[in-house]
Amino acid sequence: MSDRALPTRRAQHRPSPGMLASLALLPLLFVVPLLIGDDFVFHVFITICLYGALATAWNIVGGFAGQLSLGHAIFYGIGAYTAGLLVPLGISPWLGMLGGAALSAMVGVAIGLPCFRLRGPFFALATIAFLQVIRLLALHFTGLTGGAVGLMVPLQTGWEWMIFFERWPSLLIAFGLLALTLGVTAWLRHARFGYYLVATCEREPAAAAAGVDTLRVRLQAVALSAALTSMVGTFHGMYLTFIEPEAMFSLAFSVQIAMFALIGGIGTVMGPLIGTLLVVPLTELARGWLGASALGLHGFVYGTVLVLIVLFVPDGLVGLFRRAPAAGGAEERGETAGSAAPASVPAAPREAGRRRIGEPILVAEHLHKHFGGLAVTQDVSLTLRQGEVLGIIGPNGAGKTTLFNQLSGFLAPASGTVRVRVEGEGFIRPATPHAFARAGVGRTFQIVQPFAAMTVLENIMIGAFHNHPGRAAAREKALETAHAMGLWAQQDMEARSLTIGGLKRLEIARVMAMEPRILLLDEVMAGLNQTDVQRAIRLVEAIRDSGVSVIAIEHVMQAIMALSDRVVVLNSGRVIAEGRPQEVVRDPVVIEAYLGEDFVHAHSA
Amino acid sequence: METFVQLVINGLMLGGLFAIISVGLTLIFGIIRLVNFAHGELLMVGMYLTWLGTVKLGLHPYVLAPPLVLVLFVIGVLIQRFILQPLLDARDAHVQIFATVGLSTALINLALLVFGADLYATPASGVRESITLGPFRILIGQLVMFVCGIVVVAALHLFMERTYLGRAIRATAQHRAAAQLMGVDVKRIYIVTFGIGAACVGLAAALVAPIYPASPTVGTYFVLTAFVVVVLGGMGSLHGAFIGALLIGLVDSLSAFYIAPDLKEVVIFALFILILLFRPTGLFGLGRGSE
Repeated sequence: MSDRALPTRRAQHRPSPGMLASLALLPLLFVVPLLIGDDFVFHVFITICLYGALATAWNIVGGFAGQLSLGHAIFYGIGAYTAGLLVPLGISPWLGMLGGAALSAMVGVAIGLPCFRLRGPFFALATIAFLQVIRLLALHFTGLTGGAVGLMVPLQTGWEWMIFFERWPSLLIAFGLLALTLGVTAWLRHARFGYYLVATCEREPAAAAAGVDTLRVRLQAVALSAALTSMVGTFHGMYLTFIEPEAMFSLAFSVQIAMFALIGGIGTVMGPLIGTLLVVPLTELARGWLGASALGLHGFVYGTVLVLIVLFVPDGLVGLFRRAPAAGGAEERGETAGSAAPASVPAAPREAGRRRIGEPILVAEHLHKHFGGLAVTQDVSLTLRQGEVLGIIGPNGAGKTTLFNQLSGFLAPASGTVRVRVEGEGFIRPATPHAFARAGVGRTFQIVQPFAAMTVLENIMIGAFHNHPGRAAAREKALETAHAMGLWAQQDMEARSLTIGGLKRLEIARVMAMEPRILLLDEVMAGLNQTDVQRAIRLVEAIRDSGVSVIAIEHVMQAIMALSDRVVVLNSGRVIAEGRPQEVVRDPVVIEAYLGEDFVHAHSA
Repeated sequence: METFVQLVINGLMLGGLFAIISVGLTLIFGIIRLVNFAHGELLMVGMYLTWLGTVKLGLHPYVLAPPLVLVLFVIGVLIQRFILQPLLDARDAHVQIFATVGLSTALINLALLVFGADLYATPASGVRESITLGPFRILIGQLVMFVCGIVVVAALHLFMERTYLGRAIRATAQHRAAAQLMGVDVKRIYIVTFGIGAACVGLAAALVAPIYPASPTVGTYFVLTAFVVVVLGGMGSLHGAFIGALLIGLVDSLSAFYIAPDLKEVVIFALFILILLFRPTGLFGLGRGSE
């Protein structure tokens, strides 16, 4: 599944050889049957195009969004029924196709909205349950669907009715649908939307912090996938000229679609088609030779191949062709660009002399939060001013990270408000992580949250997309940020192979690429060695000097003392002290909180 | 009123059937954290074997229960050892689902290849007779299933609580890494657990076959209901599965009569969706459905 990784730097300007080869071979799916002219060959190729298109559409949800749907026949059936029911009314299936696609998109959103909080097997089970409900209802309401008897599509031939005497127009339509789904997927993979989908799938909190409206992205994916699946369903209904609930809303069929994608390799553009190309001709040919005695043969082959693929080629067939690691290229570049790239933020119009600390930019008032009976935030208020570095310290379990989660929309306070000043709008009260991101609040996570399968540069691009929707501009911004954060040499490495210091810098780089006005840093120095701490301090200084206001949770006192203009001390969910760093560390209340009552008495005695 | 009581009796008896199928599923679900999409197909295999044993060897289906338990245990062990164990440390938890989905599809279609789409009814062997209690009637076979359901749940419960192996299994379920550090051979625990889960299905197959005919998709039919039962009862909870099974049996029986026979499954699946969305931990479960 590491194949969800987006293209690396080298692969960006020119398509990969595999992709070019696929593009060159794609028209063969249309041309070969025309040359042979045999009915059976036509049938096999139409089936390939159909299943290929269905698997490719499924892949948008199952692969890119990482949500294992086993209910995609819902949309296929809706497409077939919508057109099939409209034809007797004299409405062309082409219109039915569009109507069905719109309806399917809505149904997909309606199902996805409550279900997307379910993970893994639970999501799969929920989609199966929805499919069963719809199938049984379709069987029950015989007046509409024809029930178990099914529905014959009136035999009017010609382009208007999508039914033909010859085979080639059907092949043309099936091929067109395949090309459409492939085109949409290829676009998606290289657009911001695709990056956002993969990021959401891999680490939802980190994506949300980077300004991605994760639910919306998922719903868009399911709407797109449902609409495409539905269009194929419409055509298939017209091709079969017979529609029945058991065939249209079939669980086995849903599973089959997913299987083709899994066999080929999910989360890739060509994978689902390649999977289809491997297994469909095999089974169709076997069926052609063995006839009725081969009942069940195709399913047996699909299932067995899937188990073998999972065991021996977990990334799918496409995985066979991409074993080359990206590390080699990165090292080369490291030598030329110099791995000791400066850790500085270039766009710093540094004011002469002292920095000026301005008006409040983020205000939290009377925050309360409790988990069960445990009060983790009790009446916490704090104010961050423009251009200021505010340090937050406190012993373990004091509620620092919980406070951060409320300051960035990851947790809603039980009571109290968080307000952010936005230029031209005054103070606003964002409620969700992406709303905070839109208001210019960026955050890092105490436990680093890299998108492990993406390269370092792609990780940073997820942040850069926030203000630069175009891919080229986002790349530009990400490269600039990578340079500033000392990650230039590692830009093509997979994020998972970075050292802890590198991961912490990546965490900051991703958020800085969002160009935030307010930066929340959660223990970015923890676990770093002395050299890296020094480097990180200079980095935060540079960020501050570029005009970003910073709140930093930190245990490394050296950093807090060096950086903070003011310090807030939390203990047991309360603010116990606030002031200039030098004053705060001498405050007996603070010493007691950190070192215990005995220590204070021992020293005063 | 009499109708209602009879419906409740029918529902509880049906619940006994669901219970005996669901116990193995919830065991695998709760301990290996694996959603075994091929569970129903194990039942299907067991039912065909029962049919073969009764028709070809002339044995009573209940006599076939012990050998079937053994055979299914071995099948379960082999599946866990050679298909699922290599995927234990896979980067993406989805791959185990893919494997069981693939296995399920392969088995359904293998049955279709070997037996065709026809129904294979195991001889009733007397278990489809009913006993009467005043105005009410109960099928002998269903009563046996109900009693066996209780016995299996109780026996598994005792096994989990009282034996060393049972404790090791529970420890593994709670924290795989910690159990491993305490010297528990986690891989072996998983193999044994899957074996026991499959063995339960072996017993279920011998009991179910004389009442329901075998067909390639019979497992799909039962396992979807079993998933509802397991999620309702709380994944991994044995008594939860039993109570969940009785509840679903009641819902099945009552909604078939009071709503419409062909809509009873709609009611059950709608219930399932509501549980998943609003109480994913089920009635007695400790797991977290949203993770």
